Amino acid sequence: MKRLGLLIIGLLMITEAGAQGIYDVSKISPDLLKDASMVVRYESVTYEVKDPGNAVYDYKTAVTLLNKNAESSSEMHEFYDKFSSIHNLKATLYDDKGNKVKEYKSADFKDRSAVSNGTLYDDSRVKFLFFLYTSFPYTIEYSYNVDYSGIRFYPSWRPVSSWGMSVEKSEYIFKIPETMTFKYLKSAGLKTDSLKVKDKMQYKWSCENIKALEYEPMSAGISNVSPWITLAPNQLEYDNSKANIENWANLGAWIYGLSNGAQVLPDAVKLKVQSLIKGVGTQKDKIKILYNYLQSNTRYVGVQLGIGGYKPITAEKVAAVNYGDCKALSNYMKALLQEAGIKSNLVVIGNDMPSLNKKFASLNQANHMILCVPQEKDTTWLECTSQFVPAGYIGNDNSDRTVLLVTESGGILAQTPYYSPTNNYQKRITKVNLDEEGSADISIETQYGFAQYEDNLGLTLLEPMEQRKKLMNSLSIPNMQINTFNFNQPNKDAAIMNEKIELKASQLLTKGGDKLFITLNLINRQENVITSIENRKTYFNVKYGYSDQDEIIYNIPKGYKVEFMPKDIVIESEFGKYTAKVVQKDNSLVYSRTKMINNKKYPPEKYNEYVAFSKKIYQADKQKGIFSKIE
Amino acid sequence: MNTIKSILFGLLLVATLSSYAQQKEVKPRTFKYGKIELSEFDTKVNGSDSAASAIALFDVGKGWFEFSAKTGEFIYVFERHMRYKIINKTGYDYANLEIQLYESNGNKENLEYMDGATYNLEAGKTVISKLNKESKFSEKQDKNFTLKKFALPNVKEGSIVEFKYKIKSDFIFTLRSWYFQKEIPVLYSSYEIRIPEYYKYKITAGGYLFINPKEELINETFMSGTNTLNAKSLKLNYQVENVPGLKTENFITTMKDYVSRVGFELSSITVPGAVYRDVTSTWPKIVKRLKEDENFGLFANRRSFSKTLLKEIIKTNTDKDTVLSLVFNYVKNNIKFNNEVEKYTSETNPKSIFEKKAGNSADINLCLLTLLTEAKIDAFPVLLSTRSHGAHPGFPMLTEFNNVIIVAQIGEKSILLDATDKNHTPNMIGFDNLCHEGLKVNFADETADWISVEDPTISRKSVNYVLNLDTENKITGKMYLASTNYEALDRRESYLSAANETDFLKNYKDGKPGFGIKNYKIENLTNINESLVETMDISIDDNVEEAGNLIYFTPLFYERTKENPFKLEERNFPVDFGHPTEKSIRITLDYPKEYQIDKVPKNEKIILPEESAAFTFMFANEPGKLVISSKISFKKSLYTPEEYHHLKELFKNIVRKQSEQIVLKKS
Repeated sequence: MKRLGLLIIGLLMITEAGAQGIYDVSKISPDLLKDASMVVRYESVTYEVKDPGNAVYDYKTAVTLLNKNAESSSEMHEFYDKFSSIHNLKATLYDDKGNKVKEYKSADFKDRSAVSNGTLYDDSRVKFLFFLYTSFPYTIEYSYNVDYSGIRFYPSWRPVSSWGMSVEKSEYIFKIPETMTFKYLKSAGLKTDSLKVKDKMQYKWSCENIKALEYEPMSAGISNVSPWITLAPNQLEYDNSKANIENWANLGAWIYGLSNGAQVLPDAVKLKVQSLIKGVGTQKDKIKILYNYLQSNTRYVGVQLGIGGYKPITAEKVAAVNYGDCKALSNYMKALLQEAGIKSNLVVIGNDMPSLNKKFASLNQANHMILCVPQEKDTTWLECTSQFVPAGYIGNDNSDRTVLLVTESGGILAQTPYYSPTNNYQKRITKVNLDEEGSADISIETQYGFAQYEDNLGLTLLEPMEQRKKLMNSLSIPNMQINTFNFNQPNKDAAIMNEKIELKASQLLTKGGDKLFITLNLINRQENVITSIENRKTYFNVKYGYSDQDEIIYNIPKGYKVEFMPKDIVIESEFGKYTAKVVQKDNSLVYSRTKMINNKKYPPEKYNEYVAFSKKIYQADKQKGIFSKIE
Repeated sequence: MNTIKSILFGLLLVATLSSYAQQKEVKPRTFKYGKIELSEFDTKVNGSDSAASAIALFDVGKGWFEFSAKTGEFIYVFERHMRYKIINKTGYDYANLEIQLYESNGNKENLEYMDGATYNLEAGKTVISKLNKESKFSEKQDKNFTLKKFALPNVKEGSIVEFKYKIKSDFIFTLRSWYFQKEIPVLYSSYEIRIPEYYKYKITAGGYLFINPKEELINETFMSGTNTLNAKSLKLNYQVENVPGLKTENFITTMKDYVSRVGFELSSITVPGAVYRDVTSTWPKIVKRLKEDENFGLFANRRSFSKTLLKEIIKTNTDKDTVLSLVFNYVKNNIKFNNEVEKYTSETNPKSIFEKKAGNSADINLCLLTLLTEAKIDAFPVLLSTRSHGAHPGFPMLTEFNNVIIVAQIGEKSILLDATDKNHTPNMIGFDNLCHEGLKVNFADETADWISVEDPTISRKSVNYVLNLDTENKITGKMYLASTNYEALDRRESYLSAANETDFLKNYKDGKPGFGIKNYKIENLTNINESLVETMDISIDDNVEEAGNLIYFTPLFYERTKENPFKLEERNFPVDFGHPTEKSIRITLDYPKEYQIDKVPKNEKIILPEESAAFTFMFANEPGKLVISSKISFKKSLYTPEEYHHLKELFKNIVRKQSEQIVLKKS
């Protein structure tokens, strides 16, 4: 035994001596060090599909972490669940010269449940390891396999996954039985190698010497400047369910099959529905009444197990507990509507995700479910997990995107309503009663619509003491004291909210010699500017479109006259429009400002124009007026 | 008791008197599971809680000991029964319950049962919906923790929800804490615990409600198989009524310091027929226990590895200051902190840690201790309860500590050491460790003393601008930035955490519109015992404005305090900055000869009582040149709620004075 042990140690030492220095940091090309915090030395991914329900995944990589900025990437993690298992975890740490510092033991890998936020229960878990070392640079190397016994997606390949990351070499090998088909999307110019090995087709994508990208704010993603590939199955088997998801029609048909027949309601609920809609005239009103019933009788509790990630809990079960996740509540609402003789469709949607790719059907483009009541002219969309929003308002994160209607004749792509910048408004009238010391009584009346209503909804749910604190901290008025405030939603069926605040403040005027200065835009300033970027590479998103209207009425303090007021300003571009002007009327000044920002994705070369637009607004917002003493 | 504790204590009394007065006697009440009175649906609360999202109608806990036939040892049984009225949708969270259970080395906590129900008032009748099996979930978080989760059915606005459960636990050293206070108002909370005479527990009480238990000695019979054991037990009964909801505030250590609770930690065991065993009842006993702990004292005492290592580190050096510095640097640079704050080591031998090159805070600091001890430098562990963990109650309770640092003594000098960060210098400990005082543990004579862990060194930031204003209203010049202590620690951290210098400067310029930097230089980045010095050529655009023939600007540019951090009128909790600070700015500005200053602003100086904080602002002017200096200093780390008003007023004046415009006139 002893002898054998020695022999093995001997062998190990040989391999080690051979391996020494591979990861020497000085061997990295200077090109790859530029703007980089980490360098992928190599990455090798193999995914072999055995049949529609089984696959094997092999992952190997070595990454050099150059500085503290990359510290959060000094780790490995892999998720698993009932339908996957992780094997052969190995990890090693090397110093800057590429000398082995440490080999990790299986006990060093941690295992933990990975139930996502907002979910009460699911069965996902994660195995992970943090690599810790005191001095940069150093290299981490790790590998593992995963066996899948249920398939929903095929892994995609994104060798450059973040800013400041360069890649020496990465490759992805995908194997699939020749009897099966699949689909893929790839980055421009990426070469696909394919060959037949026995009864399998083998595809290979790879890249070498990819330079790091410097961080770019507001980026729409790096996919236009780095290599990637996205794959999706056409046939899948998962948790005893088989599906063909070649196209959206089929994918929708599968989801329909999973939910079909799950709309049976207990008699008590049926009676309730009938009594609620009795004598109600229009379909629109019936929808409202039933949606309000849903909102006041159910709550969101997320439980997702296996196929339960796609298959709603039956309406009967929801009726028994009055809670459920997005699928369960949408399906329950569908059942309520059905009882009222109204047809509706479940909707597969990517909440706060891009639109579904119309030509590429896959499950990982969506994370949510809502409900659609189609009508030729006036289709109603319902977000069934919110207990607060009016019927028909689905929130900014669900709006204006391509989604999948789940119908009896399969999936049908549709577009959710667009909330324009004019819909997402804030209209405000502020009255400021100034004295010559700069103290003032101020009243602020604001109305918020749509997305801006949604932003302020949370505030209305707090206790008054908390509301007061939040208001104190959010209004940038110096030395203020809030006297009264209130919020109200004048019409429960419209996404509109009113806010009224009365406060006292001092120090609205700043001194300068014997003059008084006033920042005319009292509470809605853009306080910051973004900096321009030379040779921006990625597209940028202005995610949030909105319009603000402000009118502020000041009285001119006693004993003072207007010495100077800024000129009218109009700033207009494809990004939006801004105006500001101040008018003196008798003894008062009326400052009015409008600002409209369009939400759009823009090409990289437009960024500096956007910066200039934003900077002009910043400058316009800090304009001051000057009062001087009447002599 | 030293100053800090007295301040906190004083605060407790004041808060108790002013915001809440507890009735002398609370009538004990009993509740039967499932028996809901119709009147409970009408429960309302007045005053500051009138808009609460839910009301705890009662929360009743019982704890006692049983003899386990399985282990032949006492186990702890905890039973809880609570009922809430849900007022609005925000209160739905109270219909979900999570219970975390712990297991380790075959010992575990076990949930014996869980009952739950929702009650709705429908047509004048109570409709019951029971917690069903499908709404009970168990999540194995990791090898030690399991989370049990429960979601009640049919919850609506106006529902009453109820839970009752029992946990049996093999762990009797610390018993589950009881919280009398919640974010929502609590109408009745009681906790009864029966402790057999064999065990003595230390009791901690926290928060600004003082609750005295009723104490009573009772006879109890414990069954073990066919045997019975008669013993006396101490029965404690805590009761409280109408507890207001707890509201959080900013700038505090942790809410845990302010919520009313009671906790239990074992101090001694006397089992009949066996020797009396004192577990932790006095500081010396705690020290002895720690000294014999595999993951503390014994760890620190295993020095064979350190012996050889020390020689490599210190070579032929003998001067104690040099040796200390060499050893401290070695540990900082060779063992990586895994961000786990612990008072116990993860291994039993320092060798494993030195080899792993990574560890928790106890691993690192106790490794440091072994090297210092080996080097014949007097060094001692200092136990801490970190800022985010909450203040230690002050009396002998080991579990209330969560971290350990080291104090070394060379001659008359005491030096605090915390080797979890490369950029720590002697006497500089992690910010979360600035909990004002720690317990110094002396193994040799088995004693412990509270010592100050304050860093009295002022953390300074000095900004010096030498600028020139031209007739195009553009400002150019030089900027010198010097920072010391915690200020320097933060800046070093942000420099090192950036992808590169360009990235760091980008971050630095962020939020400073019009600011341009060239020829940036940083000195003493790694020379951490010196001030961090940064110099650069700067330009400032868009900050000088014109109005007719007037030219004006706020002179401190980006260094101005724009907003008062203290906006609320009242504050119940102290303001804890962690360490004293000083920020000074000096600006020398040359302006064109054809400009004149109308009026030079007034100089101002504001000093708080006992000079605990101060603000000065000075101007000097000669033709074509203006010199401005501003200095804000906070000489203490902790300010009482009474001092809050002074601080608020001070900041109000800082914001006012620093926003004054300099107005130049074109001639």
